[in-house]
Amino acid sequence: MPLSDLLKLSGIAIVLIGLAFRLRPTLVVAAAALVTGLSSGLPLFSGAGKIGIVDMLGKGFADNRLMTLFIITLPAIGLAERYGLQQQSAVWIRRIHAATAGRLSALYQLFRVIVGALGLRLGGHASFVRPLILPMAIGATEADRGMATETSIEKIKAATAASENYGNFYGQNLAPVQAGILLVYGVMKGLGYDVSLWDLVKYTVPVVAASLILGFIQFALLDRSIHRDSKGAK
Amino acid sequence: MIGAIFSLETIYILTAIVLLVFSFITFRDRTNPRRVASAVFWLILGCIFGLGGVIPNWLTGILVLALVALDGVGRVERGRGQSDIAVQERHAHRLRNRVFAPVLTIPIVTFAFAIGFRVMDADASRGALLGLGFGGIAAMFVALKVTQATPRELMVAGNQLNETMGAVNILPQLLAALGVIFTAAGVGNVIANFIQQILPGNNLFLLILANCVGMTLFTIVMGNSFAAFPVIATGVLVPMILRPFGVNPAMAAIITLTAGSSGTLMTPMAANFNIVPAALLDMRDRYGVIKFQLPFAIAIWSFHVVLLWMLARGL
Repeated sequence: MPLSDLLKLSGIAIVLIGLAFRLRPTLVVAAAALVTGLSSGLPLFSGAGKIGIVDMLGKGFADNRLMTLFIITLPAIGLAERYGLQQQSAVWIRRIHAATAGRLSALYQLFRVIVGALGLRLGGHASFVRPLILPMAIGATEADRGMATETSIEKIKAATAASENYGNFYGQNLAPVQAGILLVYGVMKGLGYDVSLWDLVKYTVPVVAASLILGFIQFALLDRSIHRDSKGAK
Repeated sequence: MIGAIFSLETIYILTAIVLLVFSFITFRDRTNPRRVASAVFWLILGCIFGLGGVIPNWLTGILVLALVALDGVGRVERGRGQSDIAVQERHAHRLRNRVFAPVLTIPIVTFAFAIGFRVMDADASRGALLGLGFGGIAAMFVALKVTQATPRELMVAGNQLNETMGAVNILPQLLAALGVIFTAAGVGNVIANFIQQILPGNNLFLLILANCVGMTLFTIVMGNSFAAFPVIATGVLVPMILRPFGVNPAMAAIITLTAGSSGTLMTPMAANFNIVPAALLDMRDRYGVIKFQLPFAIAIWSFHVVLLWMLARGL
């Protein structure tokens, strides 16, 4: 590999080393951006027909503001939490006897697949998991086994966050209007393959089925491990 | 006029206002050991949100570097104020199910906008984003009405949640910007070239394995399978699998894409899916979501390799 190519990979090396040493991720990423740009011969600021690294950094950051849109939901969620959101969720769940943290996570994953198949995109962690699914899952555990241990709560948080990702990543390809399908369609067309959108959807089906089965298995195992935690605590 | 109100720019400006209020609250918060620097951080982010589409890119870039510098030297802190659990219990008892009204408002409005845009043949994804923004605003009014709290209490509660997450909030945007620079520098081409050089001759299974490994590794590095796919499709999938073996292109392409999703599940670079949620759910372990997802990611990745191989051979 020529030296100039190796230099281009310096940013990746910085990211890997920085994250391995648990340095501040923001600092690591900014350093990687600057080093990659400079070692590829890009100027810091635009000029002489070349776009500058700082300009690209600013444009990339501003163009992706939608990723941080959830901030606008925080006041309402924060206030509801102060006024007993989690406590009232627990009251509800106690009435649904079948509910467990694992079953709720599995149910939510299925819900996300359906939402994706409808061609909708939702910022799920901010609009569903934090305000609804997590309090319900913790409520379910506490209704069933009394106070959940801290270890259990940490596992439940991870599981509800993961169920959003599992449902979202695989389910969204079931709709031909979603970004992933359109991306594949566009790239393949550019490479000389005129694939059909519906064929892309068709070959997603086995993957979605596998993701649901694997998710359900993992969430069933979660319920068993919460069960063990609560026994150990007693 | 209506088009202007229902544009993302409106939502960005509303978010900017929320951030400016957070900044003001943080500035006045005596329990925050770094109140001035923290307030400046949220102020700058608010300015980028409100003005990002207007000011020149180099200026936004410098503001971004200022955010990174403030966080890098550990100046972004949270206040020490705490909400009392006993008080929460009392409120829960009084409000009962009405406490759900604000949080249900957010998904309901999100859905309504997405479906409304769909029906009107507009971009449903943009509808959902607008819905999330307007839903957040609507939820604030519903929350005030239901709890009878003051607007001040509303914003203090929001600020507390925002400070719990902290500077990690900006990581997804920062990574997206890194992706832009990686592309401009041609990092993807280097990786595709490298894979082509080490690839084993004409064994279909090994080629498929290399295709999936490459897709996943590149996704882990970029934090985004969408950024990795064009590189792997151009560098590996088309020249080394589709052309020589005449495999169904739709099948191979979409399965290659979701093989990359395993990488997204495993990488801190996909901050908006893995790191921000850990912060949003107030987890002790920043990598807790990734650790939970790891066995699932490996299992479904193996399924992708086998599925792609079987379908490529015609079962």
